[in-house]
Amino acid sequence: MKTKQWYLAVTLIVAMLLSACAAPQAPAADSSGGTSAAATGGMTFVDTPRNETLILDNLGGSLERPENFNMYTPGVEMGRGFHELCTDHLWEIDTVTGEQFPSLAAEMPKALNNDYTSFEIKLREGIFWDDGVEFTSDDVIYTLQMWMDTDAIAIHGWAVDYLKDFKATDKYTVVIDTTRSQPRFAKDFGVTIWGNRFYPVPKHIWENEDPTNFEFYPPVCLGQYKFSKTDPNGNWTLWQLRDDWQKTSVGQVAEKAGPKYVLWNFVGTEEKRILAMINNDIDILQDITPESMQVLTQRSDVVRAWHAGFPYADFDDPCERGIAFNNSESPYDQWQVRWALALATDIKNVSLGTFAGMLRVSPLGVPPVAAVQNVYHKPLVDRLKAMTLPDGYAPFDTNYALDMAKIFQEQGVGGELPTTDAELIDLFGVGWWKYDVDEAAKLLESVGFTRNADGKWLLPDGQPWSIAINAPSDFEVQSGRLAFAVADSWSKFGIDATVNSMTANSFWTASATGQYEAGSYWPGCAIGADIYPNLSFWHQKFIVPTGEPAPGNQHRHKSDEIAKILDELEKVTSDDPQNVELSKDLLMQMALEMDWIPMFGTSKFVPVNETYFTNYPTADNYYEGPWWWWSNFKYIAAQIQPKQ
Amino acid sequence: MQFAKFLFSRLLTYVLVVWISITIVFFVPRFVPGSPVEAVLGRLMSQGTTMDPKLVQSMRETLTQMFGLEGTLWEQYSSFLNRVLLTWDFGPSLANYPTPVSVLIARALPWSLGLMLTALAISWTLGNLIGLLAGYHNKSMTSKAIETAAMVMYPIPYYILALLLVILFAYIWPIFPFVFQVSGVPGSWPWIQSVAYNSFLPLMSIVIVSMGWWIISMKAMAIDTKEEDFVQYARYRGVEDNKVMVGYVARTAILPQITVLALSIGGVFGGSLITEILFGYPGVGTLIYRAILGSDYNLILGTVSLSIIAVATATLVLDIVYPFIDPRIRYK
Amino acid sequence: MQLVKPRLVVGLIIVSIFLLLGFVAPFFAPEDPTAWNTYFRNLAPSAEHIMGTNNLGQDIFWLLTWSIRNSLWIGLSVAAFATIIGVLVGLSAGFLGGFADRILTLFMDIVISVPSLPVLILISALLGGKTSLLIIAGVLVLFNWPWPGRQARAMSLSLREREFINVAQASGESSAKIVVLEIMPFVLGWALANFINTILVAISAESGLAIIGLSSLKDATLGTMIYWAMQHQALLLEKWLWILSPIFAIMLLFIGLFLVSTGWSDYFATRRGRQ
Repeated sequence: MKTKQWYLAVTLIVAMLLSACAAPQAPAADSSGGTSAAATGGMTFVDTPRNETLILDNLGGSLERPENFNMYTPGVEMGRGFHELCTDHLWEIDTVTGEQFPSLAAEMPKALNNDYTSFEIKLREGIFWDDGVEFTSDDVIYTLQMWMDTDAIAIHGWAVDYLKDFKATDKYTVVIDTTRSQPRFAKDFGVTIWGNRFYPVPKHIWENEDPTNFEFYPPVCLGQYKFSKTDPNGNWTLWQLRDDWQKTSVGQVAEKAGPKYVLWNFVGTEEKRILAMINNDIDILQDITPESMQVLTQRSDVVRAWHAGFPYADFDDPCERGIAFNNSESPYDQWQVRWALALATDIKNVSLGTFAGMLRVSPLGVPPVAAVQNVYHKPLVDRLKAMTLPDGYAPFDTNYALDMAKIFQEQGVGGELPTTDAELIDLFGVGWWKYDVDEAAKLLESVGFTRNADGKWLLPDGQPWSIAINAPSDFEVQSGRLAFAVADSWSKFGIDATVNSMTANSFWTASATGQYEAGSYWPGCAIGADIYPNLSFWHQKFIVPTGEPAPGNQHRHKSDEIAKILDELEKVTSDDPQNVELSKDLLMQMALEMDWIPMFGTSKFVPVNETYFTNYPTADNYYEGPWWWWSNFKYIAAQIQPKQ
Repeated sequence: MQFAKFLFSRLLTYVLVVWISITIVFFVPRFVPGSPVEAVLGRLMSQGTTMDPKLVQSMRETLTQMFGLEGTLWEQYSSFLNRVLLTWDFGPSLANYPTPVSVLIARALPWSLGLMLTALAISWTLGNLIGLLAGYHNKSMTSKAIETAAMVMYPIPYYILALLLVILFAYIWPIFPFVFQVSGVPGSWPWIQSVAYNSFLPLMSIVIVSMGWWIISMKAMAIDTKEEDFVQYARYRGVEDNKVMVGYVARTAILPQITVLALSIGGVFGGSLITEILFGYPGVGTLIYRAILGSDYNLILGTVSLSIIAVATATLVLDIVYPFIDPRIRYK
Repeated sequence: MQLVKPRLVVGLIIVSIFLLLGFVAPFFAPEDPTAWNTYFRNLAPSAEHIMGTNNLGQDIFWLLTWSIRNSLWIGLSVAAFATIIGVLVGLSAGFLGGFADRILTLFMDIVISVPSLPVLILISALLGGKTSLLIIAGVLVLFNWPWPGRQARAMSLSLREREFINVAQASGESSAKIVVLEIMPFVLGWALANFINTILVAISAESGLAIIGLSSLKDATLGTMIYWAMQHQALLLEKWLWILSPIFAIMLLFIGLFLVSTGWSDYFATRRGRQ
């Protein structure tokens, strides 16, 4: 250890001794994280006025290397304000409509030829880095050239494959040629969900550095906030509104600023986050469980979730949850088995067991978010009703929403629910598959499954049938609980179903290598009508043998029909009317083959504390989705106003 | 001569122990069905961001190469041995690429040392003092009460006590922070205050539990020593009672306690994994935990090796010193 | 030595209560208490559910008895195997000496040097959620035998120097026979104390793992019970019976076992003293 560390260790020991000898009196306001700022002179623990500091929970937890802001190193942690406020993208997403709009760019990209291999990008004028240097096409070209030249960054291989040529034609115009036809160019270089890999970097700073190990500390920002300081122990990062905030994309588009300071702070395990919000020490929380929501509503008058009353949660998260299989392994390679499992799922009880019923169902492979549901789920109801399995059985059941409302009435919590059928369907979804164990049994028997005397299912070879469902253990609570609830349902049907609670790393590795039977994964994401970019990975050309990490199609579903539709979809642009029609065919085909069992959209409570700030997006004030961890948060931040 | 022979063979064992243990720690994580490459990709994909299969494929290849995970296990192992033996460099942390492992450890180690050494010092000093008094005056009621208290405290796992302390003193009766949040400029007085305030509960949970052991063992030894002839003789000679206790009883009884203390010091380099996680304390234990969850091979090796070397060294020292203390053992 | 007897008695009473709760009571459980949603959720204590039910629809009392059973089971089996292996290996190492001693000592030192908790966490990750209590118990045995092993070796080294062994050796008895007949009785009293201590170590290690979510979460143990209670915010929702009952059970069980262990050591010592 160096002298500095020894010094630190010695002072720490002094501190500890102090803490042991005289239990120190609660220190002054500036050094206490736990006490409410309101009571102690209105300063936060980072010495900013509390009523001018918006505080968010840090989703990524504590950081081991908080000084690394190089977004092209694998070890960087983007979420903590860096991704949300500091960096900016060419095109952002409007989370209400699911449509892109120009952010750093002045307009959407213009295709220069009919086969979509050359594009012109106009940049917004008058955008400045926070050190006063103007953002120009040089920065864009420098970033792209850096991708091409640096083989030790993760994006390099993709860039070489995708980009043929690029040049700046003037200070604000860039022309990019691609190696292949790319009708969805704006999706590749702009935000769809969460963010995009293209973060322009400031040429005047990066050109003298080695992009593979430069730490970019302190970072120089394009967004309306600049870096202030970060905790050496990695728990918090503070951002400060730029004086020249008008010289940013948000400044030009929203013409508003937002809070003076924004602080991302990690306070620890869930109960600590909840308590911090009750104490008004956190304004925005991200992912929490229904129980935590219950605590918040019980203990605080100033905290609200997406909906002010039941069902509290926002159902519009762009990924849906369900159970996926490795479809290349027996017996899950047979559609009869996957369908039997779907029909043996008591979806209402699963919903109650997972998130106390606060969930919206989806029978299709894209999430039931409003912008998607209106384009696909609702128009497809008739086709779903008419759909039959090869044996003539019609599996669709439209009653889910009404049944759930009835259950809630009986439990006495339905008072706050809408009353019309249409509104209930908007809330709980268009319907799901019937809970029909007889048909499930019939399907299983048709492929040689049998039951023993105890009613337990046996595989065609006579072995008892057991399913282990992979589930996330300490993250993505909804998927974790879904697995337990589904296992419960299948156990009642006579299958020995168990849950493997896995850490993130083994959970994802199992998915990539296919070394699992079933898993509570979420391969159905989409945000708007153009769902191809999110579903293209289902193409069978990406299938690799079990054991090897798959580039796509992790669930190893082989289907000529799906491949055919995907090939056609690849050729159409986002705004082509054919796009939606083909996508509908794709979704119906996926449902018929039951490539995985989609179940529910993701419910996020996303609670906010209204003590110091107002005008958060909520169900009653739906100007943006509550996606605090996405790059478009900078547009939300501009709308959040201090409470007068 | 006998001693030199013993020393040589003991040092040889030491090197073997360290080398084989580190080798085990090199290989075991690589058999875990989770890889640092997939951990990075999974982190990206779980955000729902669109990743087309070509991008996934090329990222996977690049990352595998950057992380030095190409080639057979033996190739990786020999290059690791070369690097570590020649430069004592554990390479970059994979989950925090390209930050070197040494930087991360250097940041976490002072925290673990600060917490664990202080806890050890306090519990050792206080525990032995109380144990000595209780043992020397073992007929008194206080002595019995102390022993009972120590017996109740000692067997409780410290994280259970930590949980209980949190419930009591941070939640029901909130005089200590629920959240570990240090503020101020490192090294400054407000910072020291803030650290003290925040570290009280984790520190106490370790001190209370470990003190029980020192009290019990010291008391037992003091009782035994007190009856030995030389102590009795001193007393007949009219040596003052307190002098007997300190000069005769304590001096003899403390020796085994010192040896155990030496052994315990080896343990502090591993931090206190569960307590650190429960309190969000930024020490080596938290680092080890996160390294394992992320399959950060290099960081696992760096942190666990440090702990292995510390424990092995403490055992080595103890073995060399022990025969001086217990004359019944001869060097073999 | 007035304290000896009451201490042993109190310890034995506490431990007996736990043995009853753990090994007898579970037979009377009306349903599998680990199944979810067996009963209505969050019921207050009543005649039917004497400690109420939790947020998962489990009966807290029966869940607690199953947890105690599994935790005891882990503790007892780990302690039994670790102590037996440790004592046998340690005694043979110490008594055989020479090369065999070197190898065995080296082996013990390696296991002692590798910190066990990280390896346990690694193994949980290795099994990707398929961790069973049996595997955790196995790893705990692997990590816990060298401690009694090292002590048994030291003990046999010092015993070797004593008169009665020399006499035995001089009279031509075989090494194995000496270990079994002469040294074992001497070691037994100490081994029992070690056995009880290892129970504590094993239960403590498993519950520590469980609290951070890395034990076999589908099985009921005192640790996993705390884990699920924390996951469901039992603390903030003030469901004290759910969160505090396993915490106090661990504390009480540990105190009881420890009292038995020290009480026994003292009793053993005084009895030998009298002979």
